[in-house]
Amino acid sequence: MTRFRISSALFTVLLFGLALAGPVSAHHSVQAQFDIHKTVSISGTVAKVEWINPHSYLTVNVKDADGKVQKWAFELGGANSLRRAGMSRADRGGLKPGDQVTVTALAAKDGSNGGFLQELKIADGRVYKFTTDANGQ
Amino acid sequence: MRLSGYGRIIVAAAALCLLPAAVPAQEFSQIRRTGNAPPKPSGVTPRTADGHPDLTGLWNGLGDNLLGVPNQIANNGLSIESESATHDLHSGSSIATFARNTNRPLNNEQSERAASLLRRVGSNRPVYKPEYWEMVKNLDENANEEDPSNNCMPAGIPRAGIPSYIGQTPTYFIFIYPGQGGLIATQTMYRMIPIDGRKHTPLQELDGTYTGEAIARWEGDTLVVDTWGFNSNTWFDQIGGYFHSENMHVIERFHRDGNTLTWTARVEDPDVLLEPWTTTPRVQLLNPRPDAMLPESLPCSERDLGHIVTKEHH
Repeated sequence: MTRFRISSALFTVLLFGLALAGPVSAHHSVQAQFDIHKTVSISGTVAKVEWINPHSYLTVNVKDADGKVQKWAFELGGANSLRRAGMSRADRGGLKPGDQVTVTALAAKDGSNGGFLQELKIADGRVYKFTTDANGQ
Repeated sequence: MRLSGYGRIIVAAAALCLLPAAVPAQEFSQIRRTGNAPPKPSGVTPRTADGHPDLTGLWNGLGDNLLGVPNQIANNGLSIESESATHDLHSGSSIATFARNTNRPLNNEQSERAASLLRRVGSNRPVYKPEYWEMVKNLDENANEEDPSNNCMPAGIPRAGIPSYIGQTPTYFIFIYPGQGGLIATQTMYRMIPIDGRKHTPLQELDGTYTGEAIARWEGDTLVVDTWGFNSNTWFDQIGGYFHSENMHVIERFHRDGNTLTWTARVEDPDVLLEPWTTTPRVQLLNPRPDAMLPESLPCSERDLGHIVTKEHH
């Protein structure tokens, strides 16, 4: 069953300012696209995991109230943020299509089905938290 | 290896320093730089059988990203010495900056804007003919859509800066520039550059490309790469809206001193620039691991621009 929960949340993307490029996290401004004061949580099954530039993506199939499957695209900082979160093959054997997940993300400002991934809960109860470094990696 | 808490921060910092070299970040967990001052050279400069400096190697010892992806602060020539001290390499003057506490999570809005401001204070900028000022300003204001390297296109020359890998033979060089994510969105570029005495193809016979037609020569111990035949689809930097024409001519100089490589580029584009522009020198460090390899860089697919609701850019 799909659950939608909107709540204000502490901002949790840890931006480690290595001074240099500054603590920036994406090729676009995060706040230009996402509401850093609002999170969205949904449950569904993994459609695909893409380790790509400029951001990695987790796409989740979510059933809406009518039972129709909607795709939600969650953005990550980059491949390194996946590794840091413990999502590498070595850590857990990878995340595969069909896995049941619950996702918490910063909400998309334009109201589209997506967000900036903050937390991922998988079927066995483990929770992965995502952070972004100073280069959005 | 599982890490938690502060250990993850260290690994994150180390990984940043080492990208994109295929080096396990954990082994460099002690490295944590808070500045981008040019590294000091050490060691001898190796030479090839024909007596020239040998530039072969992985030139990503600082991490391409740490100097600001290959195009961020570097083109403005800012040197950050500490969390509160920055100066302009071009003018030599100190720059007042916000103190940056690197040990705690930062407020996203403030930090993004502070970083964006920092990128804009460098004094070394190309000077455009007055009739192009409005265009440059408009490109800058709409950089989210207009910057080619915000949309997975190649960074081009000179924006790409120092290649992550240089391979040297007596008659040609191979330069590899891995694609970048994070702050920008670019795809991989490579250049095969002859150093066999050949001359340029006449400019009007060349179709414009992203890396142009390059030929190289030695001037003493400095490698000079002379390139023209570009398209007009690349910028000089992430900020500023600094575009160029198809008639741009770029002369890059590479000088190896021990384990450092210093690079500058002189840009001649009389179609749009009032005068030639020379980048502030950048210094890159040889990867300290002799067994380091260049990993496959990730493909680039931009999916955000349609969802961006403000013009904020960095």
